[in-house]
Amino acid sequence: MSAFRGFLTRLMTHPATILAAIAVLFFGAPFLSNGTVQILGFLMLNILLAQSMNLLTGIAGQISLGHAGFYGMGAYASGILMKTVGLPFLVTVPAAAMIGALTGYLVSFPAGRVREFYLAMMTLAFGLIFREVVREWDGLTGGAVGLSGVPSTTLRNLTLFGFTLDALDYFRLVLIVTAIVMWLVHNFIQSRFGRAFYAIHASEVAAGCLGIPRAGTKRMAYTLGAGMAGLAGGLYAHMIGYLGPESFDLARSIEILVTTVVGGLGSMAGQILSAIVFTFLPEKLQVFAQYQFIVYGLILAFTLILLPRGLAGLLLLPPRFIKPASLKHVTPADVAIQPVRSDFDSTLVVEGVTMRFGGLTAVDDVSLELHPGRITALIGPNGSGKSTLVNVISGIYQPTAGTVRFFGQAITGLADHRIAAAGLLRTFQDPRLVPRFTVRENLLLGAHRRYRASALATTLNLPSAAREEAAFLATVDAVTRMAGIVDVADQPLESLPYGYRRLVEVGRALLAQPRAILLDEPAAGLSEAEMTLLARMIRAMKEAGLMVLLIEHHMDFVAELVDDVVVLDSGRVIYHGDIQGMRQSPAVIEAYLGAPDTDAGPGDSGLETAHA
Amino acid sequence: MVFSRRDFLATSGAIAVAASVGMPRRARAAETIKVGFTTALTGPFNEFGEGYKRGIELAIEKINGAGGVMGRPIEIAMMLDDQLIPDRSVQNMRRILDNKDIVGLFCPSGSGPTLAVIDMITADGRPAMNPQAQTPTVIYPGGPGTKPRPNVYTFSIQNDIEANFMAGILAKKFTRIGLLNESTGYGKTGGELVQAGIMRINKDAVVTHESYNQKDQDMTAQLVRMQRARSEALMVVGLGADMAVIRKNMVRMNMTIPLYVSAGGFSPPYAEGAGELALGTKGSQFRKIATKPPAPEVAAFLNAYKAKHGTDRLWGSDPEIPSPSMGGTVASGYDGMLVMADAWRRAGTTEAAATIKAMDATKGFVGVNCSYEFTPDKHHAIEVDDLTTYEYAKVDGRMMLVQTSL
Amino acid sequence: MEDFLTLLLAGISVGAIYGLIAIGLNLTFWTTKTMNFGQGSVMMLCAMLTATLIARGWSQALAILAALGVVVVLMVFTETYTVRPALKIEGSMGWAVSTLGVGIVLQGLAALWFGSQALAFPDVIFSAIDDVVVFGVHVSLQYIAVLVLALALVVAFELLVRGTVWGRAMRAVSMDADLASVIGIPVRMIVLGSYIASGVLAGISGILVAQIGGTVDPAFGFELVIFGFVAAVLGGMGSTTGALAGGIVAGVLQQMVGGYISSAAQHGMAFGLLILILVVRPQGLFGQREIVKV
Repeated sequence: MSAFRGFLTRLMTHPATILAAIAVLFFGAPFLSNGTVQILGFLMLNILLAQSMNLLTGIAGQISLGHAGFYGMGAYASGILMKTVGLPFLVTVPAAAMIGALTGYLVSFPAGRVREFYLAMMTLAFGLIFREVVREWDGLTGGAVGLSGVPSTTLRNLTLFGFTLDALDYFRLVLIVTAIVMWLVHNFIQSRFGRAFYAIHASEVAAGCLGIPRAGTKRMAYTLGAGMAGLAGGLYAHMIGYLGPESFDLARSIEILVTTVVGGLGSMAGQILSAIVFTFLPEKLQVFAQYQFIVYGLILAFTLILLPRGLAGLLLLPPRFIKPASLKHVTPADVAIQPVRSDFDSTLVVEGVTMRFGGLTAVDDVSLELHPGRITALIGPNGSGKSTLVNVISGIYQPTAGTVRFFGQAITGLADHRIAAAGLLRTFQDPRLVPRFTVRENLLLGAHRRYRASALATTLNLPSAAREEAAFLATVDAVTRMAGIVDVADQPLESLPYGYRRLVEVGRALLAQPRAILLDEPAAGLSEAEMTLLARMIRAMKEAGLMVLLIEHHMDFVAELVDDVVVLDSGRVIYHGDIQGMRQSPAVIEAYLGAPDTDAGPGDSGLETAHA
Repeated sequence: MVFSRRDFLATSGAIAVAASVGMPRRARAAETIKVGFTTALTGPFNEFGEGYKRGIELAIEKINGAGGVMGRPIEIAMMLDDQLIPDRSVQNMRRILDNKDIVGLFCPSGSGPTLAVIDMITADGRPAMNPQAQTPTVIYPGGPGTKPRPNVYTFSIQNDIEANFMAGILAKKFTRIGLLNESTGYGKTGGELVQAGIMRINKDAVVTHESYNQKDQDMTAQLVRMQRARSEALMVVGLGADMAVIRKNMVRMNMTIPLYVSAGGFSPPYAEGAGELALGTKGSQFRKIATKPPAPEVAAFLNAYKAKHGTDRLWGSDPEIPSPSMGGTVASGYDGMLVMADAWRRAGTTEAAATIKAMDATKGFVGVNCSYEFTPDKHHAIEVDDLTTYEYAKVDGRMMLVQTSL
Repeated sequence: MEDFLTLLLAGISVGAIYGLIAIGLNLTFWTTKTMNFGQGSVMMLCAMLTATLIARGWSQALAILAALGVVVVLMVFTETYTVRPALKIEGSMGWAVSTLGVGIVLQGLAALWFGSQALAFPDVIFSAIDDVVVFGVHVSLQYIAVLVLALALVVAFELLVRGTVWGRAMRAVSMDADLASVIGIPVRMIVLGSYIASGVLAGISGILVAQIGGTVDPAFGFELVIFGFVAAVLGGMGSTTGALAGGIVAGVLQQMVGGYISSAAQHGMAFGLLILILVVRPQGLFGQREIVKV
């Protein structure tokens, strides 16, 4: 089965097969009946819609329950601009995409403050309002009766460059547009953008701490997804020449969502399979007569349970997020960590930070400093506030009082992705990686903030963008060597044991080329051998001149590495100095005897209110 | 040629012929006359499509039983299901148009799907009968009174005809009128046309015009506005189930003004949903099909229907007289098929241009719903005179629809 | 003034139904962060069965109980065979598709058994004619009954959640299902229970709406569930009182907009309100700020 999947995946994604398929459709269409050409035209639109939904839901993890609204915005925009205003096709269809995109941007406006579910509700409300507005605004949209007489191939009054398009020409045009859009989306997904979308999907907090802005990324996903749907709408408007509000109702939105989910979220090839199924299914279901509604329902109810990852999961290999071509052009690099230049204000200063949750004070007036090339250990019993402090420094919590300064700049209360962008990285107590990414993809995610190639250059796969990707892949190679994970570099993370995940997470932070790094219990659960590798990485960080904060319970591990020690108890600093001094400090001894170390217990981060 | 007594006698013979199964089949071989259509055969609107299909089938059985047209039997070569979804109608109609053997077309149920395929049919040029869509622009793209599409003929009650009929009744009796329509294409154009019709007759009339969405479960807001405007009567354009909601809502608000309804008010959901509250509700529908005693051509149709389908839900509750709504669900398809067959017979060919020429010369063809007459400038047949007023009344302790004057 | 009172009462009653639906949606959102997208079909099925059984001569109470019994079985099936397996698939929203699928199957079955046109729904307890006169306004007893029943259900539910072991267990599951199962709470039963309760609420709402409108058809319920969403978000996801309040606010505003501004804007207004609340105050009128684990 897996060999078959591999074969089918290579077949479906091979440029030669794709070009051949396009050529067959392009040159073969005249030999097909008009009805078949018509339904193939609908197939292309369904593919565009499914890809649009896949980018939004499958990749970025955002749900749209009003996709038909975006589709309809495009359709009515192009239809009205051409019929009423008289603009040419070359203007109205791109305008349809732009208007769709703008709508998507506006609908995702509250993205910075709310989670997926609420954005899904936003899209639902938008889709419903769209239907109401179209129905009531008779003067513009033709109202409930619909908009007839949009220039189309049916009436032979659709022109492009002075040529009148017939149904066949139009199908070919839609085919080419669909193919180009697919190529662009493919480039986009197999780039830092696609990886960032998927990172937001997997864990918003972890993505934020790598410098990926969550609100901006979500808005971008909605903008692009809605723009594609708008484009599909614009193409639809001139295929038939009639626009009615029923074509853009909630049932249509659901149909698009269902196509995407059944195809397999995240897989572009799966979307094509699914679009084929759902375009031709209604016709095939006609044999079931009055049972067809029931059969359709049964397909929806049980497809996912039988095929958890949709058709793609059944027939194809999981999608990858790095272009295979980029991997071929990687030149070897030796340097895993670029040395950091330091100057006089190269410090991370925590000054009087207090963090309260309701009546509970988790961190109480804590001050400490990190310096380049020095490793500071932060230790203390469970519940002493170590992780909370890290969460404050990395921007996940806004402190009740106190300031954090990094290179002289106050970073208190900045969004997490801004702090990461400034070069202050962190890892989590429970590794927060993207389970379906390979090790390599996870590592490359770390470099997100360092990419300079524009979205346009990346989407068009310009040489500059490809070179940049290759350069970071070279660094990824160096990090895998240092972390001892070369062998598993192309395995999906979810298939690897826990120890590897820790190493990958530390490596991923290094890819971001941090100036300071906060490691939250990186050695927990590691074997002896893995701990040696981890120690090697931490020493390399020190040598490269990074500021390192290490939260750790393994005292042997800490003792070998650290320069300074800060001990917290009940949120207060009870000791600050070197490791020998700590062992003799009465306050520390009392704290530990009072609350014996319990390595196995849960950490000190329970349910806490995040900054909204 | 008209629907004559001879044809009627032939129908009786048809049943006998049809009974000896296989006879017509053997006769046709390759030279059947093929028709095709797409309609809502399944899904939430399947009763429209089901009625339409039955009408065409009954007509074909009648024609073939009498020896077909020019000796050739008629056959439904393609019957596709669109569930009233416009995109699906488009795909289906394309496939039907691809079949060059098909010489006669029928438009889908519903205005949306029909408007979506109508340009395609016009461009194709083959004759198409429209049994159910009521929006006037289906036939007259520039609005009523303008040039019709050359190859499309309507057998339904056009919105403007129904509206004029109702406006005539309302404007004569009342000056303050509440008008409530559903927000679909049918409801909105219907509502606007009724309002325009009333204003034409009485410039001083006060029309309070409101709308609701299909399947709304509460209409208090709309009815309050009617009350505030001191409306003396309420006219509703919509589906039967919604009218039941409106009727109950009126009773809850103690509104006692008379209720007038569009064709939907004569469908089972209204009578069943409102129960006895429906008594007194009036509206317009096809006249001939529910007139006692039935005309011979109507009786032939009704007998054939009863023999094949019994007195089912489409027929209604009275075993003697069908619900007048059957005129729009079943009889319009039946008449459409018969009129087209008659045009073929007169043209002596099924070729499109000649058929259209013959269609345009149809005059005095007596069908179930009316006497059909088409000209190159007039492609609808049902006129105000073919409608009548019905009222829910109690007859012998049972609620029935009776024809009434106003 | 009379108009105003009529609109207000109708708005509150319709809103109370939105609220009931919203509470049902909330329940499962609480325990599993999922919602039954086929909830409209549950409403439809319950109302259709009730109508059919009464038409066959069953007593009203027995018919309603039997229909609710079918709903319970249906919800057990839905939770066991469509929601639970779908939840095992991470990040897929699979439950939305599978519950929607069950809803469509039910619609198809109903159309097959009962036909696709509307069936008459009999008067339960009161008919449209029954009214009392308050301050000179005819107040329908049907509306009063809906309102009283909705309020009673909300109070009962709040008491259940706040005052009983089951309620506390449910809250524990809503906070952290893994932790709850570690400390011995039968998470599986709680989740199943939330689905059953959600279905029963939907079934009752279906009967209440159907007897006001007088008909029920296979597509019944779909639009109402959307207003249930509006009510749930407006009140704040997870808050029972909020759901009822959200429903009533939406219902009353709808009637007021319809009665005083334009009936065409009635629905658009409700959806606009949904967008407004999501932009301005996503946690809703009564909800708490979102809790995120780090």
